[in-house]
Amino acid sequence: MSYCVNCGVELDASAGSCPLCNTPVINPAELEKMMKANSPFPGRKGEVERVKRKDLGVLFSVVMLSIALTCGILNLLVFNGAPWSLAVIGVCAVLWVLMIPAVIFTRQSVYLYTFLDGTVIAAYLYLLTFLTSGDAWFLGLGLPIMVLLVVVLELFILCVRRLPRSFLTVSLYLCTAAGLLCMGLEILIDRYCGGHIALSWSAVVLTVCAVFNVSIITLLSKRRLRNAVRRRLHF
Amino acid sequence: MEKKNLSDKFKRKDWYQLDLSAIVYPTLQRRDFSSVYRLSVVLKEEIQPEVLQKALDRTLPRFPTYKVAMRKGLFWRYLEPNNRPGPFVQRDVKNPCQPMYFKANNRYLIRVYYFRNRIALEAHHSLGDGTGGMYLLLTMTAVYLRLLGHTEIENSGFVMDIEEEPAEGELEDAYKRYANAKVRPPRLQEKAYRVRGTAEPFYTLNIIDGIMSVKEVMQVAKGYGATVTEYLNAVLLYALLEKQKDERERKLRPVKIAMPVNLRRFFPSITLRNFITMIYPGVDPRLGEYTFGEIVTQVHNYMRYYINEKQLRGDITTNAATQSNPVIRVVPLFIKDFVVKTFYSRVQDRNSSAGLTNMGALQVPESMKKYIDRADIYMGQPFSRRTNCAIISFEDTMTVNFASSIVEADVERYFFRKLVRDGIHVKIESNRGEEE
Repeated sequence: MSYCVNCGVELDASAGSCPLCNTPVINPAELEKMMKANSPFPGRKGEVERVKRKDLGVLFSVVMLSIALTCGILNLLVFNGAPWSLAVIGVCAVLWVLMIPAVIFTRQSVYLYTFLDGTVIAAYLYLLTFLTSGDAWFLGLGLPIMVLLVVVLELFILCVRRLPRSFLTVSLYLCTAAGLLCMGLEILIDRYCGGHIALSWSAVVLTVCAVFNVSIITLLSKRRLRNAVRRRLHF
Repeated sequence: MEKKNLSDKFKRKDWYQLDLSAIVYPTLQRRDFSSVYRLSVVLKEEIQPEVLQKALDRTLPRFPTYKVAMRKGLFWRYLEPNNRPGPFVQRDVKNPCQPMYFKANNRYLIRVYYFRNRIALEAHHSLGDGTGGMYLLLTMTAVYLRLLGHTEIENSGFVMDIEEEPAEGELEDAYKRYANAKVRPPRLQEKAYRVRGTAEPFYTLNIIDGIMSVKEVMQVAKGYGATVTEYLNAVLLYALLEKQKDERERKLRPVKIAMPVNLRRFFPSITLRNFITMIYPGVDPRLGEYTFGEIVTQVHNYMRYYINEKQLRGDITTNAATQSNPVIRVVPLFIKDFVVKTFYSRVQDRNSSAGLTNMGALQVPESMKKYIDRADIYMGQPFSRRTNCAIISFEDTMTVNFASSIVEADVERYFFRKLVRDGIHVKIESNRGEEE
């Protein structure tokens, strides 16, 4: 039987310190006995069963697979002029990959599935080159744009998850991301069209984003201003 | 005989509407939160899990509103009898009252745990309140003890006869019957002080149990001219006031406690579902410094004023009015969910600084008393960062169980230190800090 020297409450024989004030319990005469006492609470920590949307996953996969298969067969046997079924099969594959985080692997890292989504869309674009005259547009424009999109998106997610998160900061990240994306787009388009690389329309977007960003940063740094805005806009 | 059973089965309902308070709980469901409460009894011998499972299987059919699954309709959720295998008894865990997902655990909304001498029942609050759960737990415990050969235990108090059919009144929504006042008293709402604490990670529930003698507490309470509930309420208010003082906030807020009142005491009903309403005893430190005696007086008078049949009838009428409003009824469920959740976290939850419930003395048959050591009750994980306190007594043992999901134990410390200073012997048990 031991008592907390601070709180005066009796403590369970297993307690190493007072649960109320964290003062350690030390009785030099009974050190060994103290170590042996059993806690009245189990030591095992439990976790609850996760809900898996297995049925939905199976149903969705089967539907996608059957659409892809039937279109493929139709393309092979009946309307066999052009490989049109590739477009449909590609869409099925894209939808299936997009559904993975929601239905099948619900606890997957957001970075990983953003990357996977980007990859599958890029693959779909590549698939489309078989239906068009050549793959120059894909290598010159499609793939770089997808890479740019995925990189900007991953950076945005990283900012939202790692940096301070509030309505204002998220708007700041979003504006910056939009500005970067537009600038990248214009550079890539200019490069593909063979003209010299110069900012025109994206400069306008960048200016607007910059104005937004400056005002958001001002709001973020001035508490008084932030409160004034919050007061007027509360709902 | 068989024919009679068959016709009885047909009489059993194939679905149940959620009662008035049960509507709110499922909407608050989050990945890391469910409104789950926990009741447990500590016996004098080690629990045998196989026998306990048998007892559970025999007992549960007697409680049809606990053998259910939660389903979604277009406008409201409802409960549907659940005939899937289970629920199965499991070894207890360190962090009880984990969230209860509606689609997990074979859709059961109760869990039964055992650990050494303890049997624990966790139930989702939308099935019923603590009283209903206690009937289930103690009936199951009695069946368990009878299976072990203690056949002398009779049915009385919280122990029900598992052979008889459930009465209509046990399954009813008793609010509907008594929400019939001619006026709807407005609800007073004001933001109360909220404990600031550091959130613990998911899957943590910090428990601190204080065990004391009922007689000692009663004597001290009498000294202040109050009942045990009033006295303990005052001590918790005192602890919260001290905590607020500690934080040195520029702006003081009133300190209020959300306390459920068991309406069965005032309105004759044998329902096993929810039949409680909340009252909010509190003090306002902005009016001046309260001595402990003044807090007790304030709580005492508040309770005298609010806990009576008339005031409570008005209160449940106000609560029921929203649910029966035809405009609200036709709104789709997802909109209701959104509105209720927003209202709860913005208004209702901020209306109190802590929760406190007193289950009172456990009523068990005389012949069962010698097998029981003590009982515990936990209000479960708090919705926001704070601490909840639940009290129950058995014979001369009173247990005050605090459950919180924050690191700091300041409120608990002030609470128990005050009891010790008033001359009550308190023994503390906790699950903090020990990992297997």
